[in-house]
Amino acid sequence: MTDRDPQIVLAGWAVHVPGRTAAELPGSPQEPACSAADAKLVLGRKGLLGKEPATRLALCAVHRALGVPPGRTPGPVDQAAGTAVVVASNLGNVETVCTMVSDMREGGGAAVSVLDAPNASSNIIASSIAIRYGFTGPNLAVCSGATAGLDAVQLAARLLRAGRARRAVVVGVEPADPVARDLEALRPDGGALTEGAGCVLLGVPGAWTGRATVTIGSVERHGLRPAGAEPGVGSHYGADGVIGLAVAAERLASGQATGPLTVACGDREDAWAAVTASRLEPIGSAA
Amino acid sequence: MSAAITGSSMVTCLGDLEATCLALLEGRSGVAPLRLGDPGKLGVTHGYEIQDGRPGSRPRLAGDWLADCVAEALRDAGVDPARRRVAVVVGTGLRELRGVEQWHADGTPLHLTQLHFREAVRAAVPEVTEVHTIANACAASGYALALGADILELGDADVVVAAGCDTMTESMLTVIGKVTDGTSDMVRPFDEDRPGVLLGEGAAAVVLERPEDVPEGRPTLGVLRGVGLTCDAYHETAPDRAGIVAAMRQAHEYAGTSPDDIGLVVAHGTSTGLNDPTEGAALLEVFGPDGPPVTAVKGAIGHTSGGSALMSVLVALTAMRAGTVPPVVGLRSPMPEAEKLGLVRGAPLRARPRLAQVDAFGFGGVNAVTIVEASDD
Repeated sequence: MTDRDPQIVLAGWAVHVPGRTAAELPGSPQEPACSAADAKLVLGRKGLLGKEPATRLALCAVHRALGVPPGRTPGPVDQAAGTAVVVASNLGNVETVCTMVSDMREGGGAAVSVLDAPNASSNIIASSIAIRYGFTGPNLAVCSGATAGLDAVQLAARLLRAGRARRAVVVGVEPADPVARDLEALRPDGGALTEGAGCVLLGVPGAWTGRATVTIGSVERHGLRPAGAEPGVGSHYGADGVIGLAVAAERLASGQATGPLTVACGDREDAWAAVTASRLEPIGSAA
Repeated sequence: MSAAITGSSMVTCLGDLEATCLALLEGRSGVAPLRLGDPGKLGVTHGYEIQDGRPGSRPRLAGDWLADCVAEALRDAGVDPARRRVAVVVGTGLRELRGVEQWHADGTPLHLTQLHFREAVRAAVPEVTEVHTIANACAASGYALALGADILELGDADVVVAAGCDTMTESMLTVIGKVTDGTSDMVRPFDEDRPGVLLGEGAAAVVLERPEDVPEGRPTLGVLRGVGLTCDAYHETAPDRAGIVAAMRQAHEYAGTSPDDIGLVVAHGTSTGLNDPTEGAALLEVFGPDGPPVTAVKGAIGHTSGGSALMSVLVALTAMRAGTVPPVVGLRSPMPEAEKLGLVRGAPLRARPRLAQVDAFGFGGVNAVTIVEASDD
């Protein structure tokens, strides 16, 4: 395959937590991030019918991380061929699944909309991203609980290290509908689930156009939250790891932070994962 | 990326691997009237359920089958997880959404960590270093094989268990009831009167080790030569020939094989209107009209979703070792588009292939094509 253990760089990122701004949460838009219902402001009107809130928020984060103009992209984006997609989400389709069961039990299959059919499959977010932007590389839906975000980063980095792809779009997203909130409240420290998405564009050096300014090390496992890790970025469950990494990347790239930043996600039941992000060169040297 | 397959375990509606392969050779199907839910409302009357008679007071969990399979596969391989770094990659289509459905609709207690499989695997094998849950629809355990082989090759673990599991959900049954017309009594891959897909359930696991780590003289089940992974980026539910062909070609590239080397294809063969002609056309594009024998297992065990790819891999390895390829259970009269495919019909085929291609395609256009080699011992 290719160069063994290449450096893994971040070529872009975005945070999309509805209502939050860049001033509050680095990586967010300048104006408050739009809601899932208003995703058309970022994505254009077409192609959103039947898309769940988590899919819409994920698409908004990807759209902004790619830096493409608002509105529907007219076909595959640049560098789409062979690009991997790795999405971390646990609760994206739980409301649809539960509603389908309630409606079916009440009125049979006729009571269920055919538009919801694709959402019964838990990889709907990852495949929707691939379809919208034309990403034909390996396409993964990571559903591994509180560490899902950095599990996704680890699996994406392995796709790059093994030479299966040179670019990977990594997303963490959770919704906060009533079913998702009730489920998340079953966690020992749960009960405050907040919807939101984060996206980071991982690659081997030179794979994405433009200068990469941030690099990451390998994802490590811990029994407890690492003491030196950055504070949490909210209560986004499986999305925490990717949102946290996007926030750290923005802080490093903008000069708000200089040293390496360790991002962690997890909980008492799922244990912890952490990764360290660093600037590729000291501030000022890139000119 | 070759990896030795040193242990396995599997459970389907027909039993373990040996029982499943025996039924396939005899042309027997595990289909039965559906027990889960209300067939009239679901629009589905039959399924391939595991009749294990577990009480209904707790959620029906794929993780139970998975945990058994992972532990059994490690025992089969003689791996001591306390002495070597063992990573586990679980591919699943529906996760434990059945448990979520029962929690929501029936008030059955649920623990959120049951929605993924770390806790289930750790309960059976506490020493594992990492457990990944990949929800990649019906290609999921093919994806697990690929990611597992990469973990070994990158040196991130000493041993990998690649696994797949699923139990059926009322929501997915509802979807199937809407897209079939509710009259399907059996999965009939590549049949001219294909009635559509029916769900199966179960789990499968294989142990992967670097070939150089396998002690001389230790028997292996075979060699994982390579897995091609692509996404159609085309449609949420419909397959796309271009994406499927790309996965097949990539699998051969990684495996260092050419289509001419392949002696057996275990097709995805879901018996749906779209999959079978699309897959058939892709096989003809890759292999030409004089391609290898083609069989498929879903007429016997249903569409086992997350476990599907691995179950087909284990059937392929068993068939290659036995020198007997099972027929396509459920196939009566092939669809016209399959006339040039070498479908194994009616009775087992005596053959001794050394290399097999195994197809798995899922919702969202996710494709995983696996090349496995028979072992010589």
